[in-house]
Amino acid sequence: MAAIEIRDVKKSYGSAQVLHGVSIDIADGEFVILVGPSGCGKSTLLRMVAGLESITGGEVAIDDKVVNDLPPKQRDIAMVFQSYALYPHMDVAENMAFSLKLAKRPKAEIEQKVNAAAEILGLKPLLKRRPAHLSGGQRQRVAMGRAIVRDPKVFLFDEPLSNLDAQLRVQMRTEIKDLHRRLKTTIVYVTHDQIEAMTMADRIVVMNQGRVEQYGTPLELFDRPANLFVARFIGSPSMNLVDCTLDAASAAPTLRTAGGMRVAIPKERADTLGTTDLVLGVRPENLKVVQADDPTAFAAEVMAVEPTGSEVMLSVAAGEDHLLLLLRERSSLQVGDTVHLSVDPDHVHVFDRQTSQRVDF
Amino acid sequence: MTAAIVDLRRRISNMAPSDLLTRFVVLVISTAVLIYVLMPVFWMLKSSFQTTAEIRAMPPVWLPSAPSFDPYVTANKLIPVWRYLANSLFVSVTAAVISTAIAASAAYVLARFRFPGATLILVLILLTNLIPQITRVFPIYFFIQDLKLINTYAGLILAYVSFSVPFAVLLLRGYFETSAPPELEEAAMIDGCSHFSAFWRVIIPVSLPGIAAVAIFTFLNAWNDFLWASLLLSDGALKTIQVGIGDFASEGGGVQYMNAFMAACVVTTIPALILFVLMQRWLVGGLTAGSVKS
Repeated sequence: MAAIEIRDVKKSYGSAQVLHGVSIDIADGEFVILVGPSGCGKSTLLRMVAGLESITGGEVAIDDKVVNDLPPKQRDIAMVFQSYALYPHMDVAENMAFSLKLAKRPKAEIEQKVNAAAEILGLKPLLKRRPAHLSGGQRQRVAMGRAIVRDPKVFLFDEPLSNLDAQLRVQMRTEIKDLHRRLKTTIVYVTHDQIEAMTMADRIVVMNQGRVEQYGTPLELFDRPANLFVARFIGSPSMNLVDCTLDAASAAPTLRTAGGMRVAIPKERADTLGTTDLVLGVRPENLKVVQADDPTAFAAEVMAVEPTGSEVMLSVAAGEDHLLLLLRERSSLQVGDTVHLSVDPDHVHVFDRQTSQRVDF
Repeated sequence: MTAAIVDLRRRISNMAPSDLLTRFVVLVISTAVLIYVLMPVFWMLKSSFQTTAEIRAMPPVWLPSAPSFDPYVTANKLIPVWRYLANSLFVSVTAAVISTAIAASAAYVLARFRFPGATLILVLILLTNLIPQITRVFPIYFFIQDLKLINTYAGLILAYVSFSVPFAVLLLRGYFETSAPPELEEAAMIDGCSHFSAFWRVIIPVSLPGIAAVAIFTFLNAWNDFLWASLLLSDGALKTIQVGIGDFASEGGGVQYMNAFMAACVVTTIPALILFVLMQRWLVGGLTAGSVKS
């Protein structure tokens, strides 16, 4: 186990800079997920920690030792690739034993470690099979087995579940979490799937265009997104974000959207906001259907209804504002119906439209 | 059999006339090409079991009237076939091994690493394939002469390697790029390999079909060569089988002992034939692998 410090790390390919000074501290035994859209630099950063990419600027330290110039084999890390990268000419046992053989470990120790890993991952009946004769989930388990036999200081996972079907992905998520709970080894995990990040991580790094947008626990990111990018990215379905203005001069300051949404905010906070050009964020589950005579109600027309069985997703239009609404109960609403909605002021997020940053009130 | 004929008739009667005509034309052309290609081989094979008089008979005698192995015995007496075969095998196998080793290493570097001049190297390699072989005769002859390697196996092997490597590099570079994903060597490097050991322990075994195809290709090139072997080796003891048989024919043996000459030719084709039959799957697989996304 080991802590990882990433200090002001930069990466350029010629004149194209893909990482602009990223700093992340990962505690010993922590499960940290790098998440972001394609091309945000998360895999590049992981490969720099692995030693598969050179570091243009800054430092990467594993267990207090700067590893910038160390080859991958000297970093005491193990990595699971998106494509599994199993050696096709070796069977499962040989794949798992490969690193130990290279390290010239005694045969008995290799056998014991491979068997132990196979036991943990349910691979014992498959030890003599070649990768070509395994299913996607089995291959993924072998890739993890190959990593855990080495007992490394750090596990690195590069989108390991992307090639699996939805059902298997959920199962493997549980298995990886369980593996972390048992081994307590530091894990850095890359994904573009925010659900994966939310369900597995101790802390999440949200990246965008080579920069860290926010670093925190899943609930911190969900409850207090630092900016519009994180607000859009974290949460499924994603947060409704609507331009609004603040009527700060009145005795009861209110945030108003063009579609009629209104949120009252305390007078003393309104005075300190410094801007009236804002974006109002409301998660779909925080919009409530209310009676028409509710003082905070605003009317919207139902544009689409998507029942999933356990919940109903409504797409509604309030004037020019298009909103998503998530109902946990069954609904008889139809397309074209008018519905009255209200928003709880305790569950709104406000962002400065110019800077995209969160505004607390 | 009757069922098969009935089935064939049913399939033919179900075909559109234009389809039927297309298939007929294709069949006729294929048969003609096959006869054209196989006729010399058939002529060589049947002649190796006939007397010289029967070979020369007009109209031609298509099948031996009294098949005999005597021409093979005669060939063995008149031509040191086994010695020439051993020479050919040594030269061809050595050239194939050296060419494949050089080509695999060069192709791996060109496939994996970006460095200044890489494109230029590739263009130059491509250019060497575009220059007609005959125009290289004098420069290479004098080069090998300057190295004092005329009349040595080393000189001939050097010539074969220089011809085979460029094409082999292009072939293997494509193979490494499409059939040996970089993640494999990255995984190997994380597991404890250096670049070289990742290449040796992982990339080479994974790329065996492509490497085997290149090895077979370079072997057959050397095995079938007459021009360079006749130019660079004049010492009788060093002759390859192609040159040995050629010399025998040009010294009159091919006329006087036509059946023995044909028997020697049959023996010459056997090693290449065996190799091709055994490795056909690798050859075809290696040359086409990576052409489509799997």
